[in-house]
Amino acid sequence: MSAPVLARFSGAVRRTRAIALKEFRHMARDPQVVLLALAMPLVLILVFGYGVSFDVERVPLVVVDRDRTAESRALARAFTAAGTFDLVAVSDDEAAVEPLFRGGHAKVALVIPPDFQRAQGRGDTATAQLLVDGTDNATATIALGYAETIGLTLTQRDLPRGFDVPLRAEVRTLFNPALRSAVFIVPGLIVLVLVIVSVMLTALTVAREYERGSMEQLFATPVGRVELILGKLMPYFVLGLMQVLLVLVVGVYLFEVPLRGSVALIFVSASVFLLAELAFGLVISIVTRSQMVAAQVAAISTFLPALILSDFLFPIDNMPPPLRVVSSLLPPRYLVHALRAIMLRGNGVESVLPDLAAMGAFFIVMMVIATRKFRRTVA
Amino acid sequence: MPSEPETVVDVRGLTRRFGAFVAVNDVSFSVTRGEIFGYLGANGAGKSTTIRMLCGLLAPTDGRATVAGADIAREPGRVKRSIGYMSQKFSLYADLTVAENLDFYASAYALSGRLRAARMDEALELAGLADRRDALTRELPGGLRQRLALASALLHRPPVLFLDEPTAGVDPLARRAFWRVIRELARGGTTLFVTTHHLDEAELCHRVGMMVDGRLVALDTPAGLKATHVPGTMLSVGTGAGGEAGTRAVMAALAGMPGVHGWQPFGLRVHVRVDPELAGPGRLAARLAERGVATADVEATEAGLEDVFLALVRR
Ligand SMILES: Nc1ncnc2c1ncn2[C@@H]1O[C@H](COP(=O)(O)OP(=O)(O)O)[C@@H](O)[C@H]1O
Ligand SMILES: [Mg+2]
Repeated sequence: MSAPVLARFSGAVRRTRAIALKEFRHMARDPQVVLLALAMPLVLILVFGYGVSFDVERVPLVVVDRDRTAESRALARAFTAAGTFDLVAVSDDEAAVEPLFRGGHAKVALVIPPDFQRAQGRGDTATAQLLVDGTDNATATIALGYAETIGLTLTQRDLPRGFDVPLRAEVRTLFNPALRSAVFIVPGLIVLVLVIVSVMLTALTVAREYERGSMEQLFATPVGRVELILGKLMPYFVLGLMQVLLVLVVGVYLFEVPLRGSVALIFVSASVFLLAELAFGLVISIVTRSQMVAAQVAAISTFLPALILSDFLFPIDNMPPPLRVVSSLLPPRYLVHALRAIMLRGNGVESVLPDLAAMGAFFIVMMVIATRKFRRTVA
Repeated sequence: MPSEPETVVDVRGLTRRFGAFVAVNDVSFSVTRGEIFGYLGANGAGKSTTIRMLCGLLAPTDGRATVAGADIAREPGRVKRSIGYMSQKFSLYADLTVAENLDFYASAYALSGRLRAARMDEALELAGLADRRDALTRELPGGLRQRLALASALLHRPPVLFLDEPTAGVDPLARRAFWRVIRELARGGTTLFVTTHHLDEAELCHRVGMMVDGRLVALDTPAGLKATHVPGTMLSVGTGAGGEAGTRAVMAALAGMPGVHGWQPFGLRVHVRVDPELAGPGRLAARLAERGVATADVEATEAGLEDVFLALVRR
């Protein structure tokens, strides 16, 4: 009874492999595409890596110290000592901040309230306020990252029951703040690169078959829908993993991005993300059936979310609620979150399981839609 | 054993609508094993739509059909395993080589081992491409490409082959070579369903169905179609040095002449269908002379399927 099942299965494997091989051959005939796929991550990581770390070197800072105690001065010093912030003004009045922001003279303001030292003395959480000029989003985001690090380090040092943050990370960052930006962008960059190249290529591949009429020919063979979909995904999946490897290697060796967690877990997360986004690319392709439309839809629906809604450049916490909802429905933010957790904090599987589950769910939904749409639109 | 012709394709009341538009309208016919069935019609007549339904690619709106014993609506998977199909638009992947294209289709039909190698060699032989396996398909001339497409559709030796305008855009010499292969396949027991709008190709089919606006308006052997739809004798009238003006004069003279069923220009000659009493030597020439057209150049000719087609479309 199992022999026919086995034969059917080996037939399915053979057909899936045939589609994948054919797709690899299309790629081989068009080496510019593969070259582009591998060059783009390099260019992006160099541009973002060097560009961003130089830009953020001297963020103009204004300190509003209303406490004027040893503690408040220590906090202010911690901010200026790191070399990231350039102290342009000191004031004891919060009203001074806005004109400085408007004139472009300052981008970040540290406001220390009058009871800062007393709160710390009581053992309460001492709170200082950080105001950031939101119009320059990239700088603001990274400045926030720095500020958070400095603030937390201070907390950790001074308060025995500080936050649950590994001290090692902060110490390193403090010694070489420029690294912090590369650390910060590599996860987002991986997401961006995967989306730009792989999803775009997948979105084009099915549309191309419709356009040249080969889809009809394919449907007249015993090749099944799932075989076709999996076979088409495979080459782009491999290409995507190569991109991840490339970004990781360059990030680690050129920018000394720490790799605290498991490399295997990074690839597992990237794989789940890739499957989800590739399946999304396929759905776009199946629905639009035209390479030009597919490219546009892919750009809008995958590239923009990867750039804007992933927490890569713009913090999700600062988004208006509708955008936050959209962001939570799409895979990019989950991979950014998972990669940061694994790479920067060295977290294990437990902490990225929700991310994996969210991306996995997206993959399954896309596969169901892809297969459904395929069935309905045969010929 | 007395051979009862085995029905391979059986079509009953097949209908396909696109919205309110009826692309294929209540079509019924059957095709027997080893037969070349020609499906003839103008662009938009519903030929490709019929083929797509028979290949399990498009669900019929109404009616039913079986191909090699499988119901096209309920068992499209079984249909696909027993057919070969050359679609109208697609002929192979242009950016892959000859061998890579064959390799892909061999795998798509899950061929393996020695059988696979043998079939691929035979396919190269059939396409006449044994020495050009590594040529890019886009570099082949149209005729060779179509033969390669045919060879790939045959890799799994399907009992039924559907060819949708397989010789469109192919030069006459290559077309003849292509049809030699088709007739060879039919002799070997393959059932062929071929759409075309080349009337000379339809003459090579065992039976021909004529499609007009989604309806199958006639179905018979080429000879039977002519006998039924263009009865009478066909004469061909030449006008010597008269040129087009002469041709027009002949047609004007034929108008209303008793015993004449119809006519049409054929190059610089006019084909005229007449009753037997007008077919005798000199009879038509005499009548034309009575109406002021002098010509001695009248000869007997054969009705073509084109005449049938025109008669059917006019009706
Ligand atoms: N998917 C479709 N949607 C709407 N109309 C269609 C579709 N496919 C074919 N048609 C229409 O059906 C008619 C028959 O088409 P087709 O079968 O391709 O004709 P043929 O092959 O004889 O040239 C044409 O008028 C065509 O526009
Ligand atoms: Mg057609």
